[in-house]
Amino acid sequence: MTVAVGRSVARSDGEAKVRGVADYGVDVVLPGMCHGALWRAPVPSARVVSIDAEAARRVPGVLAVLTGADVENRPTGISLCDQPLFAWPLVRYEGEPVAAVAAETVEALEESLGLLRVELAETPAVADLASALAPDAPLVHPDWASYASLSGAQWPRERNVVCELFSDTGGVDQAFSSAAHVVEDTYRADRQYQASLEPHVAVAEYGAGRFTLHVAHQFPFNVRDRVASALGVRPSEVRVVGHHIGGGFGAKLDVSLEPYAALLARAVGRPVRMENGRSEDLMTAQCRENAVVTIRSALSESGELLACDFDVVFDSGAYAIDAPYLASMPMFAVGSIYRVGQARVRCRAVYTNSSPTGAFRGVSGTYLVFAVERHLDHIARELGLDRRELRLRHLRRSGEKMLNGQTLADADILRECFDRAEELAPFSSLGKGPYRGVGMAACVWLTNPLAGSAVVKLNEDGTVGLVTAATDNGSGAVTMGLRQIAAEELGVDALDVVISMPDTDVSGYDAGSQGSRTTRVVGMAVKAAAERVRERALAVAADHLEISPADLELAAGSVQVRGAPSRRLQLAEVAKLAAAHGGPITGAGSYSTPMPAYAPTCATGLLFPVFPTPTYHLHVAEVEVDPSTGNVRVLRYIVVQEVGRVVNPTGVVGQIQGGVAQGLGYALWEWLALEGGRYRQRTFESYGLPLSVDVPRVEVVTLEHPDPESPYGAKGVAEPPVVPVAAAVANAVSDAIGAEINCIPILPEAVLDALASQDGAGARGVHLSRGGAGAEAGGA
Amino acid sequence: MEIEVTVNGVVRGVEVRPHETLLALLRDRLGLRGAKNGCSEGECGACTVLLDGAPIDACIYPAAACAGRSVTTVEGLAPPDGELTALQRAFVDSGAVQCGFCTPGLLMTLHALLAERAAPSEAEVRRAIVGNICRCTGYAHVVDAVAQAVGARR
Ligand code: FES
Ligand code: FES
Repeated sequence: MTVAVGRSVARSDGEAKVRGVADYGVDVVLPGMCHGALWRAPVPSARVVSIDAEAARRVPGVLAVLTGADVENRPTGISLCDQPLFAWPLVRYEGEPVAAVAAETVEALEESLGLLRVELAETPAVADLASALAPDAPLVHPDWASYASLSGAQWPRERNVVCELFSDTGGVDQAFSSAAHVVEDTYRADRQYQASLEPHVAVAEYGAGRFTLHVAHQFPFNVRDRVASALGVRPSEVRVVGHHIGGGFGAKLDVSLEPYAALLARAVGRPVRMENGRSEDLMTAQCRENAVVTIRSALSESGELLACDFDVVFDSGAYAIDAPYLASMPMFAVGSIYRVGQARVRCRAVYTNSSPTGAFRGVSGTYLVFAVERHLDHIARELGLDRRELRLRHLRRSGEKMLNGQTLADADILRECFDRAEELAPFSSLGKGPYRGVGMAACVWLTNPLAGSAVVKLNEDGTVGLVTAATDNGSGAVTMGLRQIAAEELGVDALDVVISMPDTDVSGYDAGSQGSRTTRVVGMAVKAAAERVRERALAVAADHLEISPADLELAAGSVQVRGAPSRRLQLAEVAKLAAAHGGPITGAGSYSTPMPAYAPTCATGLLFPVFPTPTYHLHVAEVEVDPSTGNVRVLRYIVVQEVGRVVNPTGVVGQIQGGVAQGLGYALWEWLALEGGRYRQRTFESYGLPLSVDVPRVEVVTLEHPDPESPYGAKGVAEPPVVPVAAAVANAVSDAIGAEINCIPILPEAVLDALASQDGAGARGVHLSRGGAGAEAGGA
Repeated sequence: MEIEVTVNGVVRGVEVRPHETLLALLRDRLGLRGAKNGCSEGECGACTVLLDGAPIDACIYPAAACAGRSVTTVEGLAPPDGELTALQRAFVDSGAVQCGFCTPGLLMTLHALLAERAAPSEAEVRRAIVGNICRCTGYAHVVDAVAQAVGARR
């Protein structure tokens, strides 16, 4: 029987948030604080000819104007060091910082920015993937060959290709030459903006050789390291203090405003606050990358997948950011869920003159799974096979290996996902009726393994203090998950666990809220730390009660004698006794997930080689298409997700519901289109976020296969529910209209075009679709 | 210009600038930082407050137009050391709060709805909050919170 784990414990910051008193990054106010802002390039590709800051500096209240000429401007980055602080002399994307200004008031700041004279000579932009790959393409980075990687690792890269992954099992061409069927498709996906409701914000202070940054950031230690390297100081000279985060979804993993705020604070000797306006935020948020995926499959007469040729080109934008790592993701999308036979995989991350792309929940997986699952539906249709059957025939079994050579020890869970979905709603029963359709999509996802740490202390009033730099971006991983784990370990009420906010001066290293790692990885650290507190508490109590520690246990806020719970010491008493006998009770714990074995020679350019602590997912979408508007309505949405162990039922469902909502936005409504390297959408109004009336209630089935290596068996939960959504929805829409939908987002215009192209008869589409569904029912 | 405006039940005399928004007045000058600025363009609803009981987007509402009127912000829903409203309680318990940046705005819109309709249907709740974007929750737990609050008030 647990006291905390497995219960819907409310988040510890909930009350502060509903009272409006939780301090977010945007709420930080410091004495003497002034305001900073960036002059951002208005064109995607140019050479800075000159900057005349005279008039801008003379505006009353202006405290500093900094440009690339005033700083060292060394290129830095989280993978490849290719990004300078300021565009100087090259502008590589629209929105790139050219100058930073600090002023007493927002009004003076705006006036000063307006008076900055920047002379730019526009140069031809590398506007899209195809032109970036052209043999005579201009180079986004003429100095590409001189860049160093942060870790020292090398990988294949050349000219506008910032990373190329290549993997080949061999035998692919032979399989194609003898195949009974070959099916080929090309899929496209546009960008997606994280659109956290709180924009990027940073407040920096400088004094006596040290910087303090107040942030609402998913990864405070990365802010520390990135600011330090951009400014050329030691990481320990930068302190990063975390505040409540108004959403992140990956957009707050790398730095954005922080180095500029730090520079300005040092220049003016006062705290400087910077906040992105919404358009600025949208244009520079390191959104999800646009991509083109070409997939070709060789099949036997009966529809057995014999070989797959998978080619991905995605847009890194003007800088690498994490693209060299993301280039490995196709290795986990092909041949992971379904056996594909022999496989060749190539993925190129490409520089263009557009805003840099980066991490967004479910990195790359959204469009990779879309391509794989759409392709399977297309194959089923071409060959007249049942879509579900085709998948089941190729489903991985426990003990089989992914393309990277990593063994999926528990892949049989996939079959369970399919069975449970079928129990809830038989696939062949869904999508019946005119303009209705059903689709499914599966994926395997990782739990990010990177390091975390925690200190647990027994407070003198018997409550438990938890000190960690792990951040809660809203997911509940800290305010529910870690708190519940500490409570469970020490037998106290979760309400009696008090959590510190992140502070890099105070806490051990933490790799940030990414990849659903916090509950799993930091949870292990919390468990280890709590273990030490428990041992010491038992020892102190044992001394006092003159009994062996082995006869004691922690429960209900006390140390009590096993079998005689009335003989007990309250934890407050234990803490006080400890202070007098050896000192206060604290414990520290650290953890990172051991890397699973893989085959290092399986690919070149494989910087992200494994999927640790994998979880399994199946999504089913039922939709209805309006043939007059092309709008898609989601009628039912089912998620079967393996989570290891449900730590907090409300929290798990909330993460899945929220992730699916973001996936639906990606599939249907959110559109960030590039034209000449520039975004067409600039505001929430034009961007199309999912609204309350758009998103259906998700039907959630959680499967629990506790991981013996995880705290109480819990694996990552929050990231993957966004991954298969576009795939399931696109399959459902294609089924509804009897035409292949191969682009994300599925805009109404595309649906209408698809309907119209079927001999101008929507009814024909329905006929085709129903024929397909009938065939499936017959085959099932 | 000098105006008088009642904020969370207290009459405040303030000097407002011509283009100052109600949100800027509340956040930057009256120290009420509960209402949030998510877009400055009337699209996200994070800045929602009640003006004479009706929800408005404070980010595009002129402060000067509030003269002689009554503004309620999220800080005014429950006394600072007193009990939460049934809806606030339900938001915490139902998982309607994740990052919480949309929460003050949602709470204001929904308090206004509950003042008019004692037991709104799910469709009515969803329609009421169509101008309150929540990027985190996918809205289902927000709907649940309203149902829980309605149940608690019965
Ligand atoms: S901040 Fe007012 S609607 Fe977005
Ligand atoms: S809880 Fe984060 S935007 Fe609603």
